[in-house]
Amino acid sequence: MKLEVDGISKRYVIPVLERVSFQAAEGEFVCLLGPNGCGKTTLLRIIGGLEAPTLGEVRLDGRPVQYGGMSDFHVGVVFQEDRLLPWMTLEDNVALVLKALGHGAGPRRDTARRYLRFVGLQGFERYYPNRVSGGMRQRAAIARALAIEPGLLLMDEPFGALDAQNRRIMQAEVKRIWADTGKTIVFVTHSIEEAVAIGTTLIMMSARPARVRELIRNDGSRDPHALADHLSQVIMEEVLRQQGGQP
Amino acid sequence: MAEGAAGGSAAWGRRLRLPSLALLLVVLAVWELASRRYGAYVLPSPLAVGQGLGTITRSGELWKHTGASLYRIVVGFGGALALAILMGLASFLWGPARVVVRDLVTVLNSTSVFVWIVVSLIWFGLTDLAPMFTTFMITLPVMGANVVEGVESVDRRLLEMGQVYRLSGWEKFRAIVIPSTIPYLVAGMKVGFGLALKVSVVAEIFGVTSGIGYVMNYSREILATQMVFVWALVMIGIMLVTDKLVFESLTRRLERWR
Repeated sequence: MKLEVDGISKRYVIPVLERVSFQAAEGEFVCLLGPNGCGKTTLLRIIGGLEAPTLGEVRLDGRPVQYGGMSDFHVGVVFQEDRLLPWMTLEDNVALVLKALGHGAGPRRDTARRYLRFVGLQGFERYYPNRVSGGMRQRAAIARALAIEPGLLLMDEPFGALDAQNRRIMQAEVKRIWADTGKTIVFVTHSIEEAVAIGTTLIMMSARPARVRELIRNDGSRDPHALADHLSQVIMEEVLRQQGGQP
Repeated sequence: MAEGAAGGSAAWGRRLRLPSLALLLVVLAVWELASRRYGAYVLPSPLAVGQGLGTITRSGELWKHTGASLYRIVVGFGGALALAILMGLASFLWGPARVVVRDLVTVLNSTSVFVWIVVSLIWFGLTDLAPMFTTFMITLPVMGANVVEGVESVDRRLLEMGQVYRLSGWEKFRAIVIPSTIPYLVAGMKVGFGLALKVSVVAEIFGVTSGIGYVMNYSREILATQMVFVWALVMIGIMLVTDKLVFESLTRRLERWR
């Protein structure tokens, strides 16, 4: 699914996003980077239809995203927290969201099992979320997002709560899922290493009010270490600017 | 809460609650001594109370009066439970309903049991409805407050997840709101049932000719003090049994996932 973010501005009491524009072609892996609290999550929520922008438009395959109540049917979201229902098994958690697609009980279970297997949770279908590790819960959340077969997958720092080792494993896992499914992914992270390791398009946001400061095609033509160093420098500048209070 | 599989005498000691049993024995001994000192009219001996319990069990009075009381409690309490759940539903669907329910609960909570007893005697006369209505009015605020608090404490992030995945309103209520509210509901039911038992027995002193409250008051009038104690024991028994059999197993069942 092709994603166009066109002149998005958002203000609460203060301006948070200011004319953010970028595009992502079908099958791109976009990483949104920026200083903490710059509005990355807000932008992701606007793309996902959870929050309306003050100005601007988001288009999916040319169709503007509608706000007010229901989000777009073809967008799967993985949040910072797993947001699984603790009283349902992993299988039931995934099957639940398939109800809205009108699938019957049998196909729902089959689809849920298939996607749980796809994210490496075979054998854990009947476990309750509290009985498995944080990494496994986040895998189940990814399975749930994939199960609705979205054209666009939004991920908001999905591995923020994981330890370093699990984080690396999950990065590799997401990269594999992306390669296997060819989905367009927008991935919010504050880890530059993570972004350089998995993104095809890196978008560096400025400090608040956030603009697109730099858009980098990470096609392997640039040395990853040099790229990471460069991005670290940019993010430091932005953090200092934010603390200095000067827009 | 669940007892571990660990065996040994320590585990058995916990099961039997030896310290509580020891205290019970001390209480019985003091009771017996006091009974001898003050006489059976003021304080009947433990043995007399035990015999009284045997008598009502054999004569069937135990089941007759307990059944009558439980019937009234279950109807009054059940009605309050049903209305409390509707209050929860209303406050989920419509924000202002929460304020209304909270105000209602405050008013009901500050109304004395006696007000409802007298009013229900006036309205319903000498019928089963009087204790039922009293029980209903007293347990309603406890359970209503709990259910509404439960509905308010539903994790917004889970509801947002429901929105992302386009769950219908009913589906969100069934899959997200009800399970998050259940612990509050069960806690409210526990307190509510205890209250129902205490209150309905008081209401039975007036106007009806069966039930634990009636028979206790009657025993007092015919100077059968030991029977007052017997029925008090029966009340305690009902409370313990419902707590163990109904609420504990209900909680275990509903919270398997924890």
